[in-house]
Amino acid sequence: MSEQTHEREASPSAPEPPRGPSRREVAETLFRFQSFFGLVAVFLAAIVLSPRGDDGQILFLTSDNLFNIVRAVSEIGIIAVGLTFVILIGGIDLSVGSVLGLAAVGSAVLLVNDDFGVLLAALLVLLIGLIFGVLQGAAVALLGVQAFIVTLAGLNIARGLARMWSGGETVQISYGDGEGQAPMLFSLLGERTFGGVVPIPALIFAVVAVAAILFLRYSAYSRHLYAIGGNEKAARLSGVPVNRVKIVAFALSGFCAALAGIVHAGQLNAGSPNDGLAYELDGIAAVVVGGTSLAGGRGSVVGTIAGALLLGILNNILSLNSVDTDMQLLIKGLVIVAAAALQRLRPTA
Amino acid sequence: MRKTTRSAFAAACAALAVTAAACGTTSENTGQAQPQDPRQSCGGPDGKYTIGMSQANLAEPYRVRMDADIRKAAEQVPQFEDVQFSDAGKDNAKQVSDVESFLTKQVDLLMISPNEAAPLTDVVRKAYNSGTPVVLLDRKVNGDAYTTYIGVDNVDIGRQAGEYFKDVLFPDGGKILEIRGLSGSTPAGERHDGFMQGIEGSKIEIIGQGDGDWERSLGQEKMDALLKAHPDAQAVYSHNDPMAEGAYLAAEAAGRAQQLKFVGIDGLPIEAGGIRSVEQGRLQATFLNPTGGEEAVEAAKKILVDCRPTEKKQTLPTELITKENAGEVYARLNQG
Repeated sequence: MSEQTHEREASPSAPEPPRGPSRREVAETLFRFQSFFGLVAVFLAAIVLSPRGDDGQILFLTSDNLFNIVRAVSEIGIIAVGLTFVILIGGIDLSVGSVLGLAAVGSAVLLVNDDFGVLLAALLVLLIGLIFGVLQGAAVALLGVQAFIVTLAGLNIARGLARMWSGGETVQISYGDGEGQAPMLFSLLGERTFGGVVPIPALIFAVVAVAAILFLRYSAYSRHLYAIGGNEKAARLSGVPVNRVKIVAFALSGFCAALAGIVHAGQLNAGSPNDGLAYELDGIAAVVVGGTSLAGGRGSVVGTIAGALLLGILNNILSLNSVDTDMQLLIKGLVIVAAAALQRLRPTA
Repeated sequence: MRKTTRSAFAAACAALAVTAAACGTTSENTGQAQPQDPRQSCGGPDGKYTIGMSQANLAEPYRVRMDADIRKAAEQVPQFEDVQFSDAGKDNAKQVSDVESFLTKQVDLLMISPNEAAPLTDVVRKAYNSGTPVVLLDRKVNGDAYTTYIGVDNVDIGRQAGEYFKDVLFPDGGKILEIRGLSGSTPAGERHDGFMQGIEGSKIEIIGQGDGDWERSLGQEKMDALLKAHPDAQAVYSHNDPMAEGAYLAAEAAGRAQQLKFVGIDGLPIEAGGIRSVEQGRLQATFLNPTGGEEAVEAAKKILVDCRPTEKKQTLPTELITKENAGEVYARLNQG
């Protein structure tokens, strides 16, 4: 993962006077990489706190365990990357968990009941996620309804569609060439490559993460995102196509959620209308821990990825130490609050 | 802008292409169970053992009790030093991670009550094939990659409930309502099918049905509507006690609780459970659905301490609970 963020502030880019880094700039840099430092700290803490195996090895550091973490994080990670775009413009997308469920059910039904090929089914499901996002974005941008409300409605609509599409039941995926069986290709999502070590979902997460980082770094779109998040009115006045940018942000979020849904169905060999319940909250948590401001205009995809990994490692080390679920929830809550509180201390507004 | 949208799409397609191209994968999704050698995991009476119990959720009182039963029974086995519990919160993906954590921790035996069969099958097979004995509780996985399954026969429970209606409550026939469990969950289908077998040949008629999803509040909601639609109903057959309680509350609000008879399933021996409801006269009867916690610990002891093979399937007995035996059953299930 690249260490660099490519974050841009909303303020018009005035040329900076040439001088050495001030204390303020050092502090700014520290805060910018907050989630990365947090990730390193949690990683080190996990090593210290890890239980030991029979032969004394640190269980947390076993490659099996580390890849399990990335596998477990991959779905929330993909969702969180998409969410980052929406949150950067000061919006929110509460529908992603339900869209994941819809996509998981859709994948299962198309492959098993409708005998679609893997690529066609995947493209169709991704298109559904994309269109769902576009519609939500359009409602936000063109109708001027608050994103919270639009996507709250979207949460219910996608969940309803998932239930309707599956008849309210889990659709099991079995593999083979026969009728009612999914092509073996789809079962790859549940498998591991490179000598049976690296989970495929982790690879997909990595690809999505890199694509999002490059996209934000090299496209004009990124400047527009930060500009709208910083000051929508000013952005509009300076010629940013605000509505289009907003719609694209929601479209990307829907797309990522659908992709996560495909991964979900492939990993679990089933699509259940209850899949992804409350995943939107885990996704938002990853974005917030990653240092992106819910007010918009500040943050980065790199931060989000660090945030998702941080929460994944936290989950893992708490489980390895058999901390019970109640306490796990409590600790996770405190970490989210701490991350948000640290953001408030950041020097520039 | 159009260009950027297209590049995002291309990136995602690339992600899929990577997946498609990934070769040399190992199969967790497919593959057969390798029969375990029971002696391999057995360390005898001098060993100390860690057991991991992965619970599907702790939202249902039945599952809280299952964990408690396991904890209590394990305390009686000195070799079982450490029994660890995880709660998947009805999330299949979370339960997969829970099991993976147990495997990382190298537990000596895995107990699991899977949230759903298909999504948990692979990880359970992975555990089993890696040599960890697996005790399945209450709900199954697909295939046979597990050491032993412990649970009730839900068709049989349904049949006994049907026979109770036929022989005891309505020998001359009657009109009843059915409150069903979550559609698509196997116990809901089995408890219905068994019930139909039980009332076969009688004049009992199911005049209305509602899906209560195993939840008390939904049982109440469905009953509200059913009572209005079917004023001639004489009794309620509910797939579990909480929904039967909900139905009772709805009938009470409509002033009809005394005219109707309520029968549930589960007979949980806790204060808020079905046995107390029967004792207090809200339910006419319930059928015991033992959690299997004690039996699971017994099986674990057989495997790890006694080095004896277990049966592949252990069917737990059910029992009719009415006002006559409720107190005795409650005391019996809570002793020791």
